Amino acid sequence: MALPHLADYPFYRERLGPDGRPAPWALADLESYAATHPGDPFAGRVIGAVTPKVALQMEATGEPPIWTALNPPELDRWAEVVGGMWSRWGAVASETIAFFDYGSSPMVLLASGGYVGYLRRGAAERLGIFAVCNDGVATMAPRMVGIVETVKPTMLVLRRDLVAPFVSALETAGVSLAQTVRWAAVSEVEGTVTREQAQAAASSLGVRVLRILRCDAAFMLAGECSECGCFHLDRRYRAEQLPSGEVAITTTFAVTCPSVRYNLGAARLAGAGCPLEPRAQRIEC
Amino acid sequence: MLNTEPFDDIDRLSPAELERWWVRRLRAVFTVAARELPFYRERFAAAGFDPASFRALDDLNRMPIFAKADLLAAQRKTQSQRLGIERGADEPGSRTTFSLSSGTAGTTFITHTARWRRAQGMSSSRAHWWAGLRPGGTLVMSAPAWHSYAAIQPFIAMRFGMRCVVVSGTYLPRFADRVVDALVHFRPRFVTMFLPMVFSILDAARRRGIAGNELFAGVGSLVVTGAAITPGMRAHLKALTGVERVAEIAGTSENLLAVDCAYAEGLHVVSDTCHAQVIDRKTGLPVADGERGSVVHCALIPYGSLYLRYDSGDVGVINHTPCACGLPSPRIKLLGRWEDCFSIGARALLPYDVQLALEEEVPELKGAACVITREGLAEGKLRLLLIEPHGASAVSLLDHARSALSRRFDVPVEITPVKDLPLRFKGVPPILSEREAEL
Repeated sequence: MALPHLADYPFYRERLGPDGRPAPWALADLESYAATHPGDPFAGRVIGAVTPKVALQMEATGEPPIWTALNPPELDRWAEVVGGMWSRWGAVASETIAFFDYGSSPMVLLASGGYVGYLRRGAAERLGIFAVCNDGVATMAPRMVGIVETVKPTMLVLRRDLVAPFVSALETAGVSLAQTVRWAAVSEVEGTVTREQAQAAASSLGVRVLRILRCDAAFMLAGECSECGCFHLDRRYRAEQLPSGEVAITTTFAVTCPSVRYNLGAARLAGAGCPLEPRAQRIEC
Repeated sequence: MLNTEPFDDIDRLSPAELERWWVRRLRAVFTVAARELPFYRERFAAAGFDPASFRALDDLNRMPIFAKADLLAAQRKTQSQRLGIERGADEPGSRTTFSLSSGTAGTTFITHTARWRRAQGMSSSRAHWWAGLRPGGTLVMSAPAWHSYAAIQPFIAMRFGMRCVVVSGTYLPRFADRVVDALVHFRPRFVTMFLPMVFSILDAARRRGIAGNELFAGVGSLVVTGAAITPGMRAHLKALTGVERVAEIAGTSENLLAVDCAYAEGLHVVSDTCHAQVIDRKTGLPVADGERGSVVHCALIPYGSLYLRYDSGDVGVINHTPCACGLPSPRIKLLGRWEDCFSIGARALLPYDVQLALEEEVPELKGAACVITREGLAEGKLRLLLIEPHGASAVSLLDHARSALSRRFDVPVEITPVKDLPLRFKGVPPILSEREAEL
């Protein structure tokens, strides 16, 4: 996909430098733009006349909410990123992945064409695995235990704030997660959980916990590598180390709502060289 | 004569032709079930039912009826969500997902395959068409991913060439602001929503200074689901939103589906999703039109989880008389759940009856949110907690309601005005203990 002409996009137009590149930006910049342009749900990142097939409200932004947009090929490529992540984590056909998160989370949405329109092949569909989602609210923790007991997923994706109620519900029911679940991946609404939080979650859940790096504004999802502990980036993301000690990401498949030089925050580019995926670009954070 | 724009040729069938179509379709589905699905094969054999002998809809009376308890028992036995009612889940390319059917008795799982999503999506498109959906525009995805309706909405959006708008979070009141934002920015012409969420988003909009008719400006159809609506509730919703057409969809995760036509005098059974009956709880035989009974249906799409002769636990009435719209399928109305049915005085009532009585006796209270307390019922009284009406006449309205309901049901009635009621995913539970209501 050809990268869009950024000067056409109001959000980027005012950020373009003399080299034609936009200054790295973060969620706060997008929120500032949205606050001064309340009539534009996409905060200047979708050109007016375009009617994208899918609009996603970002969970991480408050008032006003900000939307991203995609067309079918972009959705498919994003789902391929997610499928690649699960594959690296060892997902194999006929297994089941369970989600304890909102259905609007990209990890859930991108799992199946049954969860969002215009997605040709979801991540689960690419790998031939089954998917089940529980609503991402703490009161549904006992139901999540029921899913574990009955559907017996081997993989589990959950939001960090749901770990504690889920652990409590598992204890109440006397259910051991390790009997069925091989790994759990924990996400934040924006960014990633810390290594310490992941270790604490692993200790209380009793299974290996992997971290997810999530930035919806940049259509960014990356999974922690079990070997090197860094986040392996799909080849559709281009990362650059900023002098500030932060890392910026450009998402090459995002054309309808471009994401160029999104600042992930403090992080280090670790380069290639992981024995599990030697050519993968890696981020340490 | 068809007096509405048909979705396809099935809508043009006469009732007699539809009956014959149903017989053929049901026989084919029963044959598949007996051949491929162990749950049904065993139970059909035990009941001496041979699908080849199925010749008329009356033959349904020879078939065993199943309910959630049977599925839960099978689930306990197999320690799996696979109950022997699932077709094609393991085929290559099945693209299987599971959704959940929760309830007081427990959670069961519904298997969805790509073939089911396509076939059910087409049939559900008919339902949405009847409710007023037309191509183009925006579809705000209104079901959380764990719900079976979420497995249908993507197909509908694509079938009608609509933009999919995905609101972050889930469909609980605390996310109402986000739904408001979706409606304001994307201006859908067709909105489908769980009934309690409509009130939550109206409240959220009001807090932002947006009136109901402003929020729903441009919406031609508002389709509510999740609760039986009374005529007064329909009028109340129209008044609050300014939407010309408020329609009701009754759907269960087990593929019972029925929807209002424009005449809104009962919900037409969606002919290629299911065949539905209302039967007497004791005899198992169909009741006369207008009489209350159990709603039992057979799903007609033999992919994924297949529900045959399934008693959903709903209380309903059926009407086979021709509808002015000309659609051939009978109309049903789900009035509530048997588990919410209560006896008081000499009567067995549903919360729907109380809501209907309230709006008929005191029209000013139409659409009022109220619950019936268990403590009141234990004392032989109808004790209602009712959201406090506004205005100077509130006290006299409640007095009037108290005496009118007492006369109508011939029982003591108490009405306590409250500021708030506990709202859950499916709305305010119709019967609650006072502790649950935090009085």
